[in-house]
Amino acid sequence: MSGVLRFIPVVVLVLAACAPQATPPGPSGTAASKVGGSVTFVATTDPDTLDLHQTSNPVSSTIFGWIYEPLVYQDLDNSYKGLLSESWAVSPDSKTITFKLRSGITFTDGTPFNADAVKFTFERLQRVGAKSPIFETFKNVASMEAKDATTFVMNMKEPYAPIFHDLQTAYAGILSPTAVKAANDNIGRAAVGTGPYKLKDFQTGQQITLERNSDYKWAPALFANRGAPYIEELRYRVIAEPATQLAALDAGEVDALGLRAQDIAKYASDARFKVFDSFTFGLTYLGFDAKRPPFDNPKLRAALAKAVNKDEIVQVVFESKLAKAQCCPIAESIQGYDPKLKDFEQKYDPAKAKTELDGLGYKPGADGMRTSPDGKPWRPVLYTTTSDTHGKISTLLQAQFKTVGVDLQIKQLESGALLAATPKAEHDLYLNGYSWNEPDMFSLFLSCDRITSSNRVLYCNQQLEDLIRKGRTELDQAKRMQIYFDAQKLVMQESPWQPLYMPVSKTAVNVKIQDLRQGQAGGLYWHDAWVKR
Amino acid sequence: MGRYVLRRLLLAIPVLLGVSLAVFLMAAAVPGDPATVLAGDTASAAQVERIRHDLGLDQPLPIQYLRFLERLAHGSLGESTRTHREVLLEIADRFPYTLALTVGAVTLSTLLGLTLGTFAALQRGRAGDYLTMGFAIAGLSIPTFLIAIVGIIVFSLQLRWLPVSGAFSPASYILPTVTLSLHSAAVKARITRSSMLEVFGQDYLRTARAKGLRERVVIVRHALKNALIPISTIVGIQFGALLGGAFIIENIFGWPGIGRLATQAIFNRDFPVVQGTVLVGAVTFALANLAVDLLYAWLDPRIRYS
Repeated sequence: MSGVLRFIPVVVLVLAACAPQATPPGPSGTAASKVGGSVTFVATTDPDTLDLHQTSNPVSSTIFGWIYEPLVYQDLDNSYKGLLSESWAVSPDSKTITFKLRSGITFTDGTPFNADAVKFTFERLQRVGAKSPIFETFKNVASMEAKDATTFVMNMKEPYAPIFHDLQTAYAGILSPTAVKAANDNIGRAAVGTGPYKLKDFQTGQQITLERNSDYKWAPALFANRGAPYIEELRYRVIAEPATQLAALDAGEVDALGLRAQDIAKYASDARFKVFDSFTFGLTYLGFDAKRPPFDNPKLRAALAKAVNKDEIVQVVFESKLAKAQCCPIAESIQGYDPKLKDFEQKYDPAKAKTELDGLGYKPGADGMRTSPDGKPWRPVLYTTTSDTHGKISTLLQAQFKTVGVDLQIKQLESGALLAATPKAEHDLYLNGYSWNEPDMFSLFLSCDRITSSNRVLYCNQQLEDLIRKGRTELDQAKRMQIYFDAQKLVMQESPWQPLYMPVSKTAVNVKIQDLRQGQAGGLYWHDAWVKR
Repeated sequence: MGRYVLRRLLLAIPVLLGVSLAVFLMAAAVPGDPATVLAGDTASAAQVERIRHDLGLDQPLPIQYLRFLERLAHGSLGESTRTHREVLLEIADRFPYTLALTVGAVTLSTLLGLTLGTFAALQRGRAGDYLTMGFAIAGLSIPTFLIAIVGIIVFSLQLRWLPVSGAFSPASYILPTVTLSLHSAAVKARITRSSMLEVFGQDYLRTARAKGLRERVVIVRHALKNALIPISTIVGIQFGALLGGAFIIENIFGWPGIGRLATQAIFNRDFPVVQGTVLVGAVTFALANLAVDLLYAWLDPRIRYS
């Protein structure tokens, strides 16, 4: 899922076909009696389009995630399993993947799902998908072939280990070629896939309604319900204001809502709701502009990293409910996390931070605030988003830095302006986060070729580049994880980031919804759920 | 009269062109470009560059503006960079909701303002006057968003009479319309009161009463009609203010109007939509003021347009 999630908090619901945590519970009540009812979610903004190749918007991907299905899904143990594919084989040079597709699957327009549809979809992605988060991945795909109806071959220019992560995202769903042609390639509001739901109505600015695909019978074995979902309609009501979202939940107009820390206690004690919580695939970090003086000096970064009290941030800003402090660049929910890395953490130690700053020539002035080694006033500027949460964290960081004599300035920018400002290196420090369930996140956020785009701390280290390259091409899982261990260790020592916390999601759900199960990445699994009427 | 209307409409064209240029320049000055926002925070520089090229944003600003004018001449406001739909279609989906909200609020606030203002004038110096003007001061001082939230708590959550958000039923219109109209009603009530008090001292009212006309006829037909001229000016000006106010109300009530469309477009740097919504707002405002000017002629037969 895209890191854009950091800017737009939404109730993220993953594909119904994704994996639950454990063995599915047995059905309660007969399947037929469960069918019916509706569930209404909140969409914080209008989805821009349901054309999965023309967007990186998380609200849109949440919605089209019900309509389209990808070839594979990621289980809770982070392994990849077949969804529209049965199995796959990787060539000895790791450049060719041959997928065996499932047969007997149809799109909701009645046309069959086959290898031609997969080829058509991915070729369209290569042609028009510049806005898609997986566009770059498919630039590495040299050719594709539909050998027969159930055999699809993908030839890559070079081995690419994160390919399965990218193929399991909602953005890699398979389109009905017939529907795309019928819509003259304009599928923003004419989405047709193989998923458990189909688009019923798109009321601009107001509500998107999905209806149950009654022909759906290829749900993965991890669900008790292998057939069509029980809930007849899913609705996404567009409500931007948090206060209105809560009022709509209280009034019963909305059935599920992601909660803010201050609202959790109220809904946890309200018998009308059940609160579900889960980790997310994300991390919020404090970054340093590693390209420009003075933070091009890793010793200075490490010194200031030690002034950061992560536990205090989690307690004060999140009331210890919606975040968990993290040691390492890869959050504990993401493949590649290793608790042994805690030994390399720049732990909170203000006394040591002061000593190191003194040693680097940043001495306290008459007012107790440190000056730069040349004696000039030193007021590093922290750039962050205008989000309330980031505002609170920045203020707390300002107070923490003050205790070691650093006069931190805060500049909050609306997200569009922030994205434009960071490549220009206008900032000294940067507070933001990522959401990406793949250790290859290093290539997006800390690689040299991204310092004019998604590498917001402008960090470039040849040693890390080598590790990123090796990690991307190494398909042996154990070897790959060792590479990311080394990469994390290097980043923790060099400190372009001080990892802060992993967001935790809490969602209040109306108790009329039965057999709902905890999912991953802030999501819930709805395929076995039904509405008590 | 026809010639006057035509002239006013033609005069509106340079005004609208000026508005479009101002919005275009403001959009260009805003930090952050649409390509970066559209690509998201994981995109590569090449990806952003390709989107920028696809949107024509790599062209010089004058060329971009001329292209905008060219499309405008062909009756198109361009394509939304976010949804890839025609801007006119986006606006057509939303504008009826905003228009319904604004017209409803103008009507309600005018009726409320005239009634309360006339009542206050008639009750001058008495309890009714103080009570009515107290309401007007409250309407002017309490922020609209606070009225909206209190309205939701009382009427949607406590009494369960009205829905919280959306425009799904006629009942959905009540809270947003009433909330939007209150501030404007307060302004109109105060102006009506002072305008009526001024008219009350005029000779023609004394004459009307001396003729033996009923007090109701004197007030409505003679006093109120003459007091309406300054009020109709306010109605025209406030139509624009209400269009602007609808932006806030639409966000609070999840109303699918152009206010929310414009807000979202600004955050997404969807400049064709920003330009489109501003132009539609400007046209609506110009037409509303033209209608008010024509109303003068009806209210005061001495006013003639040629």
